[in-house]
Amino acid sequence: MEFLESIVNSFTNNLILNNGWLVVLKGLWVTLLITSSGLFFGTVIGAILCSSRLSSIGLLRVTAKTVIAFLRGSPVLLLLMVFYYVVFANSRIDAVYIAVIAFALNSGAHIAEIMRSALSAVDKKQLEAARMLGFSKIRAFMAITLPQAGRIARPVYQNATINLLQWTSVVGYVTITDLTRTVNNIGARTGDPFFALFFGILIYLGISYLVNFMFTLKIRKRKAL
Amino acid sequence: MIQTVNLCKSFGDLIIFKDLNITVQKGECVAVIGPSGAGKSVLFRTIAMLEKPDSGQVFINGTDITQKDVNINKVREKLGMVYQGFHLFSHLNVLDNITLAPVKVSGMNKTEARKKAMELLSMVGLTEKATSYPHQLSGGQQQRVAIARSLAMDPDIILFDEPTSALDPSMTGEVLAIIRKLARSGLTMMISTHEMRFAQDVASRVFYIDEKSVYEQGTAQEIFQNPQREKTRMFIRKLKVFSYSITSHGFDMVAMNVQIELFCQKYNIESKKINHIQLVLEELILEVSGEGESNRQLKIDYTIEHSEERGEILISFNYEGDFFNPFGSEGEGDHLGIVLITGIAKNFDHAYKDGQNTININI
Repeated sequence: MEFLESIVNSFTNNLILNNGWLVVLKGLWVTLLITSSGLFFGTVIGAILCSSRLSSIGLLRVTAKTVIAFLRGSPVLLLLMVFYYVVFANSRIDAVYIAVIAFALNSGAHIAEIMRSALSAVDKKQLEAARMLGFSKIRAFMAITLPQAGRIARPVYQNATINLLQWTSVVGYVTITDLTRTVNNIGARTGDPFFALFFGILIYLGISYLVNFMFTLKIRKRKAL
Repeated sequence: MIQTVNLCKSFGDLIIFKDLNITVQKGECVAVIGPSGAGKSVLFRTIAMLEKPDSGQVFINGTDITQKDVNINKVREKLGMVYQGFHLFSHLNVLDNITLAPVKVSGMNKTEARKKAMELLSMVGLTEKATSYPHQLSGGQQQRVAIARSLAMDPDIILFDEPTSALDPSMTGEVLAIIRKLARSGLTMMISTHEMRFAQDVASRVFYIDEKSVYEQGTAQEIFQNPQREKTRMFIRKLKVFSYSITSHGFDMVAMNVQIELFCQKYNIESKKINHIQLVLEELILEVSGEGESNRQLKIDYTIEHSEERGEILISFNYEGDFFNPFGSEGEGDHLGIVLITGIAKNFDHAYKDGQNTININI
């Protein structure tokens, strides 16, 4: 009974008093914003990097390869700090947007490699078979290679999404009040960090499950077709 | 319908074919045979412009498709290809595999395309697999779907690139039956195949590709029953040849016998037969070398041809010197060797021309 009582107490102290839950929701919003925009722009950047990486123009290929290697090889936190303290030090851009740029670049490089490996895993002869039926190069790619590569890439892409979500927890370093920063602040204020931090983990876990669920939803839809 | 003019293709330093000229008429079914690596697949791929020829032209229905201003996609709509490895679209079911191109390339409406696909499926005997995915089908079934997919575009020509090479013997039959049906229907086709009997049945003409070009061509009858050139003959009859020369009386017969044995074992010739071959050759050599006495230069060449197809051995035995037929001197009881040979051989003959005696023996 005592244990239960203490949990209820912690819950009230951390989340109800001083409208703690509202602050948590705000933090959650920032986390989701950075994750989803980072993923969106990351996918766009990934597609551009990947197509340059597979391009027939040597210079483009080498440039893309170098950029990908650099972005993949550097810790995303350092990248974030470089953007915040060096590149955009004198600009008035909101820190959240800077974070979106840093995460988009980092996940873009990873996604470029995911796309490349998925594309190379597709049977090239199927593309050729489509060409023999009269498809143009681009239409054959859209009709045959892309959907198959999408299927191959999906589980890895899903992982990259979850990874991105979890890595956004470092944005507190550049003054952004995201979910992690929020629960940390609450824990410090109430002197009950265990509950607050644990609650934070539960929320991240919840989002991860939601993301996974959304990916399976897409598959079910396809199967129904 | 299909014509190539002085077609040349090489990969780096490796010349695949040089000045290759073929003509295929409308409604013809042409079989392309030849050893692996002779360039059959590359020829097909070059005809379809999947490989760019180094020089020369390819005419399809009178248009030179090697020209830059030709819309190759339009040409390929009427030029089907069936691959050794099927290459069905693995993310689509059987029906969608067949309807994809008619709908997206020819702009046929979906219901019509489906109706036509079902007709084609019934022709290849796979109506009940319409909603299956390629990985759920056997190899033979996949290949039949691939044929239906190709037919869905109403092609004028279909190129079959070793359509049964990836299939086990129990499945080749079902695919060959479909191709036979198509050949009878008057579709123009080229088939590269290793199924000699099939090629013989179905093809109106046969190209034998070797030596970087069309080595020999003719009707199926001509090529299979009576091939004119050496390599064609060896290929058709699946001949394996062993040749040996003897130039002195003191040659090493033991070593020779070992070589014959190795050759024979390589092609799974039964040991009884190996013994017979060795025996016949030993006796012949003794007969022949004994005749001219040791003051004459000995010159014997012989070849052993093994026909895998017929399981027959043909020994042709040549020796220089005066006319001498060891089988001619009947009744002189002491030639035990000759008695042995005539006992073993299925048939034999002797000929003499320009100082050369030739004996052919079948075992």
